[in-house]
Amino acid sequence: MSVEKPDNPDLLSLLPKKDTDDHLASLRYAQMIQHALMPDPAILKGRLKDFFILFLPRDIVSGDFYYAFRTRQKMCIAAGDCTGHGVPGALMSILGISFLNEIMQSDINLNANRILNLMREKIMQALHQTGNSNDAQDSIDIGLCIIDYVTRKLQYSGANRPLIMIRKGELTEFKPDKMTLGVAPVKEDSFTNNCIETQPRDSFYLFSDGFSDQFGEITDKKFKYKHFKRIIHSFEVLPMSQQKEHLENAFNEWKGQAQQVDDVLVIGFQL
Amino acid sequence: MMKLKAFRIKNFRSIVDTGWQNISPDNITCLIGQNESGKTSVLEGLKVFYSGIISEDVLRSDLSLPEVSCRFTITEGWLIKITDNPGTELKELLSGLSHLELTRSWIADLSSVINVSGEISQYLDSLEDAWRIYLNDVTLKLEEEMISIRDMETSVAKLNNEESDIRSKLVPDEVKVLSFRLFRKKPAEVENQKNSHFPGLKNQLNVLQKQKEEINEILLKKQFVKKAGEKWKNLQEKCTQIDNHLKELSLKLEERHQRMTLLMRSIEDDPDAEWKEVLYDYRKTRAERELRIAELDSHIAFSGYIIEGSTEAEAENKVSEIIQSYKSHYNSAFLGKKYFEHCPVFELFEDFGSLLPNRIDMEDIISGNENVEGYKAARNFLSLAHLDYSFFQQPSSRILKQKIENINNTLTRNFHDFWQQSIGRNNKIHIQFELEHYNASFLGKAGKPYIEFWIKDEGERLYPKQRSRGVRWFLSFYMELMASANISDKQMVLLVDEPGVSLHARAQEDVLKVFENIKDKIQIIYTTHSPHLVEINKLHRVLAVQRDDLDSMRSTSRILDPLQLSSASPDTLTPLQNILGNPMGSEGFSSKRFNLIVNDTGSFYMLNAIILLMGFKGKICVIPSTNISSIPLLCNIMMGWGMDFAVLLFENDEEIHMAEYLKSSVFKTDSNRREIIIKMPGAFLNSEDILSTLDFKNHLLESREGIPVPNSVYLREKELPRNFLLSRFLSNVKEGKINAADFDEETLENFKLITDLLAGLK
Repeated sequence: MSVEKPDNPDLLSLLPKKDTDDHLASLRYAQMIQHALMPDPAILKGRLKDFFILFLPRDIVSGDFYYAFRTRQKMCIAAGDCTGHGVPGALMSILGISFLNEIMQSDINLNANRILNLMREKIMQALHQTGNSNDAQDSIDIGLCIIDYVTRKLQYSGANRPLIMIRKGELTEFKPDKMTLGVAPVKEDSFTNNCIETQPRDSFYLFSDGFSDQFGEITDKKFKYKHFKRIIHSFEVLPMSQQKEHLENAFNEWKGQAQQVDDVLVIGFQL
Repeated sequence: MMKLKAFRIKNFRSIVDTGWQNISPDNITCLIGQNESGKTSVLEGLKVFYSGIISEDVLRSDLSLPEVSCRFTITEGWLIKITDNPGTELKELLSGLSHLELTRSWIADLSSVINVSGEISQYLDSLEDAWRIYLNDVTLKLEEEMISIRDMETSVAKLNNEESDIRSKLVPDEVKVLSFRLFRKKPAEVENQKNSHFPGLKNQLNVLQKQKEEINEILLKKQFVKKAGEKWKNLQEKCTQIDNHLKELSLKLEERHQRMTLLMRSIEDDPDAEWKEVLYDYRKTRAERELRIAELDSHIAFSGYIIEGSTEAEAENKVSEIIQSYKSHYNSAFLGKKYFEHCPVFELFEDFGSLLPNRIDMEDIISGNENVEGYKAARNFLSLAHLDYSFFQQPSSRILKQKIENINNTLTRNFHDFWQQSIGRNNKIHIQFELEHYNASFLGKAGKPYIEFWIKDEGERLYPKQRSRGVRWFLSFYMELMASANISDKQMVLLVDEPGVSLHARAQEDVLKVFENIKDKIQIIYTTHSPHLVEINKLHRVLAVQRDDLDSMRSTSRILDPLQLSSASPDTLTPLQNILGNPMGSEGFSSKRFNLIVNDTGSFYMLNAIILLMGFKGKICVIPSTNISSIPLLCNIMMGWGMDFAVLLFENDEEIHMAEYLKSSVFKTDSNRREIIIKMPGAFLNSEDILSTLDFKNHLLESREGIPVPNSVYLREKELPRNFLLSRFLSNVKEGKINAADFDEETLENFKLITDLLAGLK
């Protein structure tokens, strides 16, 4: 699926009012479906000491998505960021969620990187990507964690999306593979599996690039990833719900009246 | 009827002694082995058993002479029917025999004799042995008698001497007086001497005379013994002379054989007349020797009776009696010759030059002119069509043509039962013959009938000679065999050297079909290198021929029966391993390694690639099955050969089912109670699933499209050439184009699982 980023985001405004109403109604319905496809945050409760999901779609439907799947022993948490936003992004996100569900339901014991490897295969096959130059360039960036409650290990694998861990006030960044879930420019490689021995009260953060790429109303500059890390680090002592609140406030303050450029997703959880 | 059961060949080309080799009870025996292993020598050995004709080039370098034995099954009591007046003991023996052994052995002039061997010859030999023992006893007695006679004669001579001495002392008076004068002795002294010695000397003389008379009396009685002994010595000397002469002639023959063997061709400069003279002399001397030995034996027996006191006339009579009592009127050679008349015909089909001709004159067929081209093939053709000359006497040409057309159709239909090849998709060949007459342009033949043959398909009508070598070969072969099966009133052993070498694989399988069809009438022994001519589920038919020293063409050949095949070299077993799917010449069943059976060739490639990539050093031999259904057969073979093995099964429906089948109906553990059904660790549907999808794409497919299903499913769905891809993969690994470092951690982890599994098999 080829996606072009519209220069004018308010395409709906160009449509006659009746059509607009119809489209909006349709999008609202699509939004409901997309939300329904994403897991109920309630499944995270009880398994995690604390968590938050900051999900700020740019449009009615979103190209970012979050995902959670759990069994008695394991839980999978992922934050995905599809190419584009709005409807095209949403469609990709639905693809991503479906594939993740397929994979997790078939074998929860897969390593995090193998889940991504498999997802990439599914996406490439779905989008008929074969490495030719005229292939659709759509893809999904994702950060994915598998938490094993028995072994107390956390596996992380990332497709262009990192994982931030804060342990005893110290921030550690686990860098992702510089690959996306989709055809690579030259050659697809296997994703790396990071295995982390967790400790109680360790906090982890998965996120899309919407927050750090947001332009500020005053500065007309991106928030930037290093500031994002700094802000995450500065809130780490707070409960997760307050962290979400502070993050959202910080985002809104930075954005001001400026247009939100992309969907924003930040997932924080504490073990 | 005699049916070949086993054979044994000694001193024939590269063969020293095959030992007894049973041929397949279902009448089709297959000899496999490398080139120069001695397969054809086995066939030729059997052929010459029948023909008896050998040349120097079959002799071994030590010039030991060939001997070929065949064991035939017979119905009990059959030998009695064909043996006249066998005598009580022999009759009893013959009536209980269910098999018969005949041995053809060659002598220095390369002529041969067929002897009955086995139990019958043992019996005949035992009679002969008893006869020899008797003759030896008599000979000893005769020797003793001769020594005794000589001693007595010596004694007589000695007594004569002593007598002379004494007599010389008892001189007449006038002699004594003269002596007195001469020696100047006094008469008184002489008288004194005379008085003291003369009475003693006279007594001695009497005693001596008495002794001499006694001895002479004995010698007189033994005069016939002496005469017999002297004749015995003469005969013995003659025999020795003949033996020595034979030895000289044998040496001359051996020298010639040696030269021929070394030159591998006939000696052109050898004076023919001289050679013939030697050969004639050899044969004549052998015949004479037999006569002389018979004469000697008879004379020894005669001497025995003379020693016992019989008169010469009485002894003559007793000799024939004792010979009859000791010796059967049959001997091994006589019976061998008699039984050989009923022996199956051994025919070696090595030359199929007698191909179906384009045309043949009726006159030549009727007159049986074997010199005309294609006569044999044409005769076979007509035999298959059940035609004789009367058929062509049909006055109505319309009816004749209709009959010929019907026969053509029948023949073609019958041929198609065996020949499945098509030219193009559905275009099969048709055999056709037509009766024609020469026109006026053929001077001398005008108006005479001839038969013309065609092999036609839908597109073309061609003469036999215009067809491919394969078609011509198969057709000729088919006709020869079917005709032989039809017309032969004797059992036949058909020896075929590498049938179908010019045939397509499928046509080679058709050759097997022909064998199957005629095996009830004809026993077949054939050699082959082709996997298409060995039926994997009939390994009891296989005999493997190989050299004792695989690297030396001068070493001797030996034959391994089906139960010994495991000890044959991988090269010898190539046709079998090709059928079983093993594509690597240097690998194969191994009694020194642990054999791991896998589902197919693809998995064989993959596992070998893993072994190479991981540098696994264990002694594992991966054996690919042709397909999953062949696994029980392979297991049975391995068990039969007493080899260490296990079966590695993947997690697909067929192999899960196979695991259940093997457990329920075949076995669970080997003789050492080891698990021999090993399920592949991990959920691998097939061997290609051992690779991660990414490595599968990178190293096997060399493609980048998304594959969301297991690799094996992808290959199946896309109908990709699995064996080719995996073979290329192994090849790249061998060439070092792919190394362990090129794989991702998922694949390496799987490789580790495999090598751990292999290590556990040791």
